[in-house]
Amino acid sequence: MVDDDQSVRRGLGRLLKSAGYAPETFSSAEDYLAREIFEGSICLVLDVRMPGLKGPGLQEALEKRGACEQIVFLTGHGDVPTATRAMKKGAVDFLTKPFDDEELIEAVRRALERAEKQLRRRGERREARGRVDKLTPREFEVFRFVIMGLLNKQIAAELHTAEKTIKVHRGRVMQKLGVTSVPDLVRVSERAGVSPARKPA
Amino acid sequence: MKSISVQLETAENQSRAARAGDWNLPFDSRTVVTGLLVFAAYYLGAKIGFALTFRPHPVSVLWPPNSILLAALLLTPVRIWWVLLLAAFPAHLAAQLQSNVPPTMILCWFISNSCEALIGAGCVRYLIDRPVRFDRLRNVGIFCFFAAFLGPFLSSFLDAAFVVINHWGQDSYWQVWRIRFTSNVLTALTLVPFIVSWSAEGIAWLGKIRRSRFLEAGLLLLGLLSVNTIAFYKFAPTADSALLYLPLPFLIWAAVRFGSRGASAAICTVGFLAIWSAGHGYGPFSTRSAEENALSIQMFLIVMSVPLMLLAAVIEERSKGETTLREREERISLAAESADLAFWTINFERKESWMSDNGRAIFNFGPDEPLSRELFLSRVHPEDRNAVDEAIESARASSQTFEFEYRLLRPDGETRWLISRGRYGYNDRGGIRELIGVAIDVTAQVKANLQLRLQREEMAHLSRVSSMGELTASLAHELNQPLSAIASNAAAGRRFLTQGSPEPKMFEELLADVAADARRASDIIHGIHDFVRKREGTRRLVNLNEIIREVLRLLHSDLLGRATFVEKQLDPSLPSVDADPVQLQQVLLNLLMNSLEAMHLTSTEKRRILISTKCEADSVVTSVRDYGSGLPEEDMDKVFTHFYSTKPNGMGMGLTIVRSIIEAHGGKLWAENVAEGARFFFALPVTRKSETREVA
Repeated sequence: MVDDDQSVRRGLGRLLKSAGYAPETFSSAEDYLAREIFEGSICLVLDVRMPGLKGPGLQEALEKRGACEQIVFLTGHGDVPTATRAMKKGAVDFLTKPFDDEELIEAVRRALERAEKQLRRRGERREARGRVDKLTPREFEVFRFVIMGLLNKQIAAELHTAEKTIKVHRGRVMQKLGVTSVPDLVRVSERAGVSPARKPA
Repeated sequence: MKSISVQLETAENQSRAARAGDWNLPFDSRTVVTGLLVFAAYYLGAKIGFALTFRPHPVSVLWPPNSILLAALLLTPVRIWWVLLLAAFPAHLAAQLQSNVPPTMILCWFISNSCEALIGAGCVRYLIDRPVRFDRLRNVGIFCFFAAFLGPFLSSFLDAAFVVINHWGQDSYWQVWRIRFTSNVLTALTLVPFIVSWSAEGIAWLGKIRRSRFLEAGLLLLGLLSVNTIAFYKFAPTADSALLYLPLPFLIWAAVRFGSRGASAAICTVGFLAIWSAGHGYGPFSTRSAEENALSIQMFLIVMSVPLMLLAAVIEERSKGETTLREREERISLAAESADLAFWTINFERKESWMSDNGRAIFNFGPDEPLSRELFLSRVHPEDRNAVDEAIESARASSQTFEFEYRLLRPDGETRWLISRGRYGYNDRGGIRELIGVAIDVTAQVKANLQLRLQREEMAHLSRVSSMGELTASLAHELNQPLSAIASNAAAGRRFLTQGSPEPKMFEELLADVAADARRASDIIHGIHDFVRKREGTRRLVNLNEIIREVLRLLHSDLLGRATFVEKQLDPSLPSVDADPVQLQQVLLNLLMNSLEAMHLTSTEKRRILISTKCEADSVVTSVRDYGSGLPEEDMDKVFTHFYSTKPNGMGMGLTIVRSIIEAHGGKLWAENVAEGARFFFALPVTRKSETREVA
């Protein structure tokens, strides 16, 4: 929670605690950025109007850092252009002070849910990527042809080698990526962000 | 004759080309053909002339060859005249040799005839710059005098001398002169206009004529022939000479309806028939001796043809003038329409007025509503009326053109911006004849300019106007902080309670925070004065008049947009006050915006703000007076307190802040209801010289 006003920080902190969350308060965006990155799902509750780095600027800084905070903005009065900009950049909600406590808690819940989902996706990707990295360059090449949907014979022709060799490579790819079927292989490729060798004609 | 005319016309065109400088060969096919045509026509004309000769005189009543040569010279460029003379000579020779005339006489006649044609054609071509046509009074006059009168007059001396020297015929010198003169005048008057007017335009125009015109021409010809037959042929020579007037209505008909072409053709017809009948012993011109008959018929025809040709020319000139006028009017209306111009004239002598259609649309005048200065002024925006009236009046006094820009307030409530230019027209006696003018609707330009200025000032304007809002917004933010904290704390406390885990120490802290925040909120509200002070910029010596002008400039578009007129009564000798100019601007903006909003139900013509400054004792008093709804009498004392608003969506902070600013400057703010509105005052202490130094 970032707000330059101490009493707001304390009140909001108590409210979030009462809802079962573990709030951490900061008096400025810079203070938050100075904290070491927390490897979990985070919801940031930000006042639009605060000294130093403002909401949208902070959003950019966060994007660069690559953590997956989700943001709920608070504002003193309805500032539509800022709200629109913030929402477009992916803010979860934009609440006007004084806000309804239920509304805030609901927004925080949604933000954390979204953060968690994003975190999970990121973990999967990292894991898939790690497995793909274990492939040899030749195996990687075969992998990209397989997910294109080509038969061993066709891949052999593409790579000017024997069908038998391809079969061996393919077996090793499946083994290294820990899958047993081509659909699973495709799923892994999608998660790891590997594209097929060519666009299917 | 028509085929000749085409050729002659082409030659005429050629001559124009030659004047342009791209025609240098004297002998091209056109010239040759023209020469041959002149030859043929001259020969034929001579034969006709012989046929119309009243024996035993050597001179014909009507001698066409001279006129044919004259017409040819009138129609062709001067540089090929010698070709035509050369072509006419063999024709002359061929025709005359058949009538046993001695060769010397033939040669002499050719010389005198050529002289006549050259004198006439030379004078006419010299005096008429453009192609010779008989459609203008001046042209007909020149032709009648120089070609029809002077040419025969001079050449007849020569001709008569030749006849006498050659002992041809029995007549005396003066007899020959007289006979030849009248005969040639008649021929020139009847034949030349006919040939020239029918051949000059070619035959292309015939295709463009309506069938009804052909019918009318046919009827005219039929009437003319029958009347002529009756007058010159059927009746006995002893019949009443008044019968000679019978062809006149038809001749006038021809002149009025068919111009110079019709008139010349009709005169030719009448002339030919009259002479032919007389020559054959019929009609009123066959009673006396040949010489007398010839003279009277000539006089008759000459006297009739000159006025007719003049009449035809006048008619053509007028119809051409009407066409030109109509074309000009159409051009003016087109210009008026496309430029959104209003043309108008008021003629005071004839008590007539005219205004172009879109002018009436601009001013919202009825289609037949008579114009007057009073009617015009009634449409002018009341605020501009005096200035416009003065401008017109001074233009009348100085007889100069007036020009002014003004607003128009139309009956439908629409305001338009116009520029009018005009002047008074005077008659010969120096009295005022008319008032003419043009008005241009510049509403679009004015609006565009306004837009431009608005855009240019938008930044400054927005920042100034919104700095008031900014002040309110930041106040709202300040207030929101403790309120949010209180709300959060309260909600948290409720949740903890329902969850059944109330830690007394935590609750104690929570409630202490709530109390502190509530105190803080109340401090903020009561401390707007300090709040304003905290935000105060640098103070300096300022003149309120300048600040008022600046604020009015900032509000210019809002005032225009709400059709509100601001009247200033600024004391020029106003002393300076020591103040933050930005905050004073905010005070004035706030008061002016309040006035504007208070007048949103006031009708446009009554919407007015009176802003005044004056020095009273030790303070500068500024007042802003509107013609709006006024202040509710029972709430007068609440106006300046917090959260009091008469506006549906007002926060009730504006006047509180205004008062805070004024009080922070050691001044005073108050308001009163006046007739049809409210007046706000604020007084600021005048800075003494000594204090000034201290401040500086």
